Amino acid sequence: MPAHDVLIIGAGLAGQRAALAAAETGASVAIMSKVHPVRSHSVAAAGGINAAIAIDDDWTEHAYDTVKGSDFLGDQDAIEIMCSEAPGEAMHLEHIGVTFHRNDKGELDLRAFGGASKKRTAYVADITGQAILHVLYEQLMRHHETVDSFEEWFCTSLIRDDDGHCAGAVARDIRSGTIEVFNAKSVILANGGNGQCYKPTTNALICTGDGIAQAYRAGAPIMDMEMVQYHPTTLAENGFLITEGARGEGAHLLNSEGRRFMEDYAPNKMELASRDVVSRAEQTEINEGRGVGPDGQGIYLDITVVPRKRVLEALREIVNIGRDFAGTDITREPIMIRPGQHYIMGGVRTDVDGQTPIPGLYAAGEVACVSVHGGNRLGANSLLDTLIFGRRSGEHAARRGKELAMPKAPATRASEDAAQIKQIIDRPHDGRRVSEIKDELGATMNEFVAVYRDEDGLKKAGEIVGRLKEQAAEAYVDDRGTVFNQDVLGALEVGYMIDCAEMTIVSAIDRKESRGAQFRLDYPDRHDEEWLKHINVTRSADGEPEISYSPVTITQWEPEVRKY
Amino acid sequence: MKVAYWPGCVSRGFTPELHGSMAKIAPLLDIELVALDRASCCGAGVIAEHNPELADTLNARTFALAQQAEGTALMMNICSTCQGAQSECQERLDASAEYRAKINETLAADGLTYETGLSNKNFLWLLVEEMGLDELRSRVVRPLTDLRVGPFYGCYIVRPVTRLGIDDAHPRDAYLGQVIEALGGTVTDYAGAHKCCGFPIITMNKDASLKQAGRHLGDAVDAGADCLVTPCPLCHLNLDLQQPLAERVVGRDLGMPVLHLPQLVGLALGVSPSELGLQRHVVKPTSVIDWTTSVVGEVGAPSAGG
Amino acid sequence: MAEFTLRLRRYDPESGDAAYWEEHTIDLEPHRSVLEGILQAKNRDDGSIGIRCSCRAAICGSCGVRINGRPDLACHTHLDHAKKHSSDGVIEVEPMGNMPVIKDLIVDMEAVHWKKIRRVTPWLIPKQPVPEREYVVPREAMVDVTQSMACIQCGACVSDCLSMEVDPEFIGPAALAKAYRFVGDPRDDQHFERLQDLAEDPHGIYDCTHCFQCIDACPKGVAPMSQIMRLRRLAGNDFAIEDRNNGERHEAAFVSLVKQYGLLNEAELLPRSYGGDTPLAKFKPSAAAELTSSLPAIAKALLRRKVTPAAVFKPHKLAPADRAEVKRIYETVEGRDERVEFNIYISGRDEDLT
Repeated sequence: MPAHDVLIIGAGLAGQRAALAAAETGASVAIMSKVHPVRSHSVAAAGGINAAIAIDDDWTEHAYDTVKGSDFLGDQDAIEIMCSEAPGEAMHLEHIGVTFHRNDKGELDLRAFGGASKKRTAYVADITGQAILHVLYEQLMRHHETVDSFEEWFCTSLIRDDDGHCAGAVARDIRSGTIEVFNAKSVILANGGNGQCYKPTTNALICTGDGIAQAYRAGAPIMDMEMVQYHPTTLAENGFLITEGARGEGAHLLNSEGRRFMEDYAPNKMELASRDVVSRAEQTEINEGRGVGPDGQGIYLDITVVPRKRVLEALREIVNIGRDFAGTDITREPIMIRPGQHYIMGGVRTDVDGQTPIPGLYAAGEVACVSVHGGNRLGANSLLDTLIFGRRSGEHAARRGKELAMPKAPATRASEDAAQIKQIIDRPHDGRRVSEIKDELGATMNEFVAVYRDEDGLKKAGEIVGRLKEQAAEAYVDDRGTVFNQDVLGALEVGYMIDCAEMTIVSAIDRKESRGAQFRLDYPDRHDEEWLKHINVTRSADGEPEISYSPVTITQWEPEVRKY
Repeated sequence: MKVAYWPGCVSRGFTPELHGSMAKIAPLLDIELVALDRASCCGAGVIAEHNPELADTLNARTFALAQQAEGTALMMNICSTCQGAQSECQERLDASAEYRAKINETLAADGLTYETGLSNKNFLWLLVEEMGLDELRSRVVRPLTDLRVGPFYGCYIVRPVTRLGIDDAHPRDAYLGQVIEALGGTVTDYAGAHKCCGFPIITMNKDASLKQAGRHLGDAVDAGADCLVTPCPLCHLNLDLQQPLAERVVGRDLGMPVLHLPQLVGLALGVSPSELGLQRHVVKPTSVIDWTTSVVGEVGAPSAGG
Repeated sequence: MAEFTLRLRRYDPESGDAAYWEEHTIDLEPHRSVLEGILQAKNRDDGSIGIRCSCRAAICGSCGVRINGRPDLACHTHLDHAKKHSSDGVIEVEPMGNMPVIKDLIVDMEAVHWKKIRRVTPWLIPKQPVPEREYVVPREAMVDVTQSMACIQCGACVSDCLSMEVDPEFIGPAALAKAYRFVGDPRDDQHFERLQDLAEDPHGIYDCTHCFQCIDACPKGVAPMSQIMRLRRLAGNDFAIEDRNNGERHEAAFVSLVKQYGLLNEAELLPRSYGGDTPLAKFKPSAAAELTSSLPAIAKALLRRKVTPAAVFKPHKLAPADRAEVKRIYETVEGRDERVEFNIYISGRDEDLT
């Protein structure tokens, strides 16, 4: 049985940063991911990473922008840590080799981003996430002797010992089908969000909420799950992401009248208001009949106002995406976009060191909720979140491990999970296909749990998801093999997705106000007196979601009316 | 048609039969060759590897000389490598007026200037795009009936596709097959048609180089080809000149004749194998193929071996 | 909606059977991707079809396959395009080449691709002292290495590398592009050491056969071969690394022969590539050994009068006036303080800037 001081599940930015930080301390580290690390969804982050490194900038301004962006639901102690440590982290990335774009003086160049009062987004063209992820992987290769890497291993469950401490995890080697128990003093979940609950989504097929659901099933509280970010610029047809960097570089949003409608919603920041504000504005335009395209369900993003040379250099990737996936030359004509599911602000509740309430279990990145994003995440704050809290988790877990004996993880857990997998494979072919359930779930969430919500819709979504949960328990798969049986893993994933969707729905129904990404048509105002608090969901003894609340930490910025 | 003709270096050095056969068949196709005697080596990618500006300037000089050649419609080459190396330089020269001006500054001392818009085509492209396959077919006097010919393009003339203008309207990577058929022959499909002959690394990794040549030749043998045809004299060196060594490396007998494109065209136009220099090859097509039976046409086949 | 037929290469390692072809009919709009087609077949007909995929938008690099014999990302190829370029109207999808197949369309990237990536010391070795803030470096240098950084490690170039096909030990296009990402990075401290390592390796930069396959294979415009050529340029010229593979000597000989004659003189090129850039090269032992091993070919060529003694000893050359022009061009260009490298990736094209 492999045993490590720190076991990290997920190898995107948060996971790799945690692994490197833990390895630096001399701890024994294992990093495990169901895909090769560079396939992780961090790779798709485009626009950049925020850090107050400009001479005229200050981390407190970054923190205030983040607090305001969160619609005052973010925990300010965590936000202060993230923003004050951002410049150091950005310089660390630069020193290990991230190819950040330079200005003519050869210094880091910064671009404007949504909800930011200053230009403070460092970037690598519009492949920033990819560049950072690949550079971290370079570092992981450098540390190959000190970090054990389990690439293409699928975690099936977390293990808690008799004292309730997290003692490791069970995982299946996708290539061989072998199931093993991984013993660890600490486990850091870093396996991303659950965007696949929605269809369409900007998220990759792997973003199935594995970590959130596994932590939930292990008893951890899951926080802010009602806060689901719709990105203002996703391709109308298939939901692919068009980076906010486009608007950062000056692109306009136009309605069917050819008007920059953002002046009606955010006259000061215009297209660079926070994402929840822009997405809502777009949806309003569409709902009121000023959308574009054959069905009026789109909005034009006009990048032609940005100098072509600049677009070709700084927005190369979306030039490709426009050409290859929408048949549009974005340097010559506007491209049709609309709001699309992009990010889960919520996740496994942690403190500023990534610790969940379960001893020995950590979470960092999109799987976690610290909460630095509160009701709405600012663009280019997610990369920062993954790196800062990935590092802090790795350091803390490694330190913690020094004083502990290896907890006991029963080897029998492997056979339990193996039996479950066998049970899925053996199911008779008289239920539904897993893929059908996934499709229905995605469509349901996108219809009822989107930019605008109300009680009726949310309840309807709840009923559908409840039915899907029952059907998923009997859904069948075709693949009976052991080598790369992706089919059976898909059946496990759909179970995770349904848990996450369920938590989002109950939280959204519970929060009877509008804040950040949650806009309730039946409760259109923000109510600080009653709702300036986090909603936590835990799993009850009979497997149902149970709601409790926790306070929002306020250090220096009292809630105020939010205007852009 | 009058063309500014760039024969390249190898066609006048180690494969003189290439230049010779082109000169033989040009009048039969009404192509008037205005040889660019003053032009220099294209650099074959090696000079560009050493110093791109140097390669760009040398080729800009060649292009400028072609543009000066009076009455010519375009520039024609007979070497895949020249085509590729020159296209690469031309791409850079055409991309930027500023860069072009810098290069022209160097040429100015000799009274030369390169202006964008020169069309530089390999003989293969010219056959299909300028002359047309119907016209070519109409000039065939001795169809290559029953001759099974494997095309071998050479990397430089098929990749990269965008630089070389290969698209649905210009399937230049399929032209050899079209020409073989227009000449009355049969195209032999085999794995190596668009692969590398290995020549560029013959001095660096001889074994790998000859393995490439040997493998493609072997594939063509297995596919039942009578011979290969190539528009590239450098490929010819590795496929023909080095064939005895390639046989040793891949451990099998090959005996696969490799014709230059103008030689294959010449045969169909009725030129005798000896006039086309076929007897000069290392793998003698005149002894491997009995042209009296392989090439059946309206005119009597000339005696084999010349 | 339109109907398409996919012909998938299936392989089940547990069955004991050989790989086989299997056809699936799917309905999708023509501009949808081959990956979406495969996923429809997988979701609707047969969940056991194996393919790695994740982002669907050509950024994660998971779904490298061969479509109609050519390497690409399945998500990056439109169905209508694929159908048009198929041999019989059926879109053929098979696993990438040069790597062992694990199952169906899934290949063992670790056994080939990642081993080679690790071969090139794939991490920055930062110049000391590390500054407190960022390294101040030219804007263009960062744009330049970002071209290599744009590599998504999909393996498409490795799949169809023609050198690797005959020499599996060749470091290969992806890893060498990765190497350029450090050699071209002004923050790296080990440019010389890296270049020497790659030049001296018999399967290193000089083992690339310059076939352009990787340039066409790459879905992200990395142009690995161009980066390999730049590694050679830096190794041979800027660091004057005389490698054991004749790489630098071959280039130097070629360049100087053209300077001397205006045309390439093949008879001199061979011995000089082996023996060094001097007319006496052919008498050097290293050259003599190589030339002797080539004797059968040379003898046959002489016998056939393909290569005449005149061609060997009295090489063709340009007229004196033209030779002078060529020489002057050499002197002007090579006399510059700094080498001019016009790079379209960095500068863009005039036509794109208007």
